[in-house]
Amino acid sequence: MAPTPTLTLLWRDGSEEAVRASGESTVLEAAESAAIGLPFGCRTGACGTCAGRSVEGTVQYNRPPRALKTRHSEAGYLLCCIARPLTDCQIEVGADVRAEMVSNPWK
Amino acid sequence: MATDHQHHDHEMDGPGYTTPQAAIEESTPEQVAYVIGLYTGSDVDAPDFIAVVDLDPDSDTYQEIVHRVEMPNRGDELHHFGWNACSSSCHVEGLARQHLVIPGNRSGRIHVVDTADRRNPELLTVIEPEEVHEYDLSGPHTVHCIPDGKILISMTGNADGDLPGGFLELNDEFEIERRWDAPGEIEFNYDFWYQPRHDVMISSEWAAPRTYQPGFDMEDVEAGEYGHRLHFWNWTDRTVEQTVELGEEGLVPLETRFLHSPESVHGYVNAALSSNIFHFWEEDDEYQVEKVIDFESGEHADWDMPVPALPVDILVSMDDRYLFGSNWLQGEVWMYDISDPKTLRKADSISIGGYFGDIREVQGRELVAGPQMLQLSLDGERLYWTTSLYSTWDDQFFPEERERGSVMLKADVNPRKGTMTLDEEFLVDFGELPAGPARAHEIRWPDGDCTSDVWL
Ligand code: FES
Repeated sequence: MAPTPTLTLLWRDGSEEAVRASGESTVLEAAESAAIGLPFGCRTGACGTCAGRSVEGTVQYNRPPRALKTRHSEAGYLLCCIARPLTDCQIEVGADVRAEMVSNPWK
Repeated sequence: MATDHQHHDHEMDGPGYTTPQAAIEESTPEQVAYVIGLYTGSDVDAPDFIAVVDLDPDSDTYQEIVHRVEMPNRGDELHHFGWNACSSSCHVEGLARQHLVIPGNRSGRIHVVDTADRRNPELLTVIEPEEVHEYDLSGPHTVHCIPDGKILISMTGNADGDLPGGFLELNDEFEIERRWDAPGEIEFNYDFWYQPRHDVMISSEWAAPRTYQPGFDMEDVEAGEYGHRLHFWNWTDRTVEQTVELGEEGLVPLETRFLHSPESVHGYVNAALSSNIFHFWEEDDEYQVEKVIDFESGEHADWDMPVPALPVDILVSMDDRYLFGSNWLQGEVWMYDISDPKTLRKADSISIGGYFGDIREVQGRELVAGPQMLQLSLDGERLYWTTSLYSTWDDQFFPEERERGSVMLKADVNPRKGTMTLDEEFLVDFGELPAGPARAHEIRWPDGDCTSDVWL
């Protein structure tokens, strides 16, 4: 396990940024310490505002990701506010990722 | 300036007006509006804010956002907000309707903004989420001042964003005083209104933050994760005396509005998901609840299922004569005569935006969502509304709102004839802000409004 995994953030518009994530920091905190603003709300894993999607790598949670349903976790969604990278990670981020997590149920 | 009480020709010395009729007669037309502006849930890296909108038709900056109070943090999702004092504190000397209490529904952070200078309000203090979580509460929603300078806030969840919700009480120095309710009285929470002369409070039900905040999921409805009950509380004892099960016809009961007359035991609530409006009233010491409006779903070529009306906001005019509401998905603002509170008569409606609205643009600005939060002038002659419901729900039903931002619109109301006309000259565009397009939500007036004032 890398002591300071590299976290690559990918946006839907094609841009990307690589940041260092110390073992203690969440994806959101790692982005913030590199002055990158990601969407968030509760910062406790309840609201889903910070949802990203894992392309590669492993993250760990210290508290349950309450805003994710089983089907979301299985589809690779994660909560940037409480997910800590354990390995080098590539994660899709941004408001579009969250928006596609829940669609119009009647359409 | 803001603390002037032009209307105080009576012997009391507190904020507000002695009666609803005094509010109508003594108030001057609204000069500014305070409107919630939102960046939470978008890629715009900026905090949510309170927009000060100039509503003085004689001003050079009429219909413009003349000032913004930015919150100190991002990610709050400011949603509903309220005053530190209203007419229910009319007897409290030295108290003024001067401070806006503005919670972030996602963050749990509670902000207090001082409006002593009406056009340039300033942030006064902030209660951080951790302080709120100590009371095992999160998801602050409705803010009502309660008599004697205290403030009560409904909370939709516990510290983990799960059930049960409850109520948080602040003191007049904007510190948390206590948890108002005994945990376990209710599971779900959303909006509330109190009628002190009858020692009653009513509360309604949305869902746990972890359920509604990520977005609307039909699975959650099927699993019973959305509310369908009304609770009638003993106001003094802070206990639920009666719970009314609304069933299938009453899914997700949202705004609770008692009539303004402190004598009245009548009120209304909108069951958003079932597209119904219910009337509640007290009779023989018990509250009765009856469906009074049932909006039909409409067929739309792009939808597999009929489009429900989704009546997301209602309000009662200060003279208790009309009930106004907004059907967000279908794009209708409506007005019913409630002179006889049990027998509603449709007065008028405006079809605008949403999925079916006849009017698709105002001043060349395309409308990308339906009407949502409403506010009415105290004299009942001007109705305003915004178009964002909740960032994650907007993304599901009106995804363009995130790219284009919200608008604030206005209709001229003729209360004598019971008619409304869209003011096609009026448009406040929240899509045109320096940091990027913003959503707009609840609207308040400095001198009190039709969704915040209560009388003892
Ligand atoms: S910010 Fe709420 S779940 Fe991450």
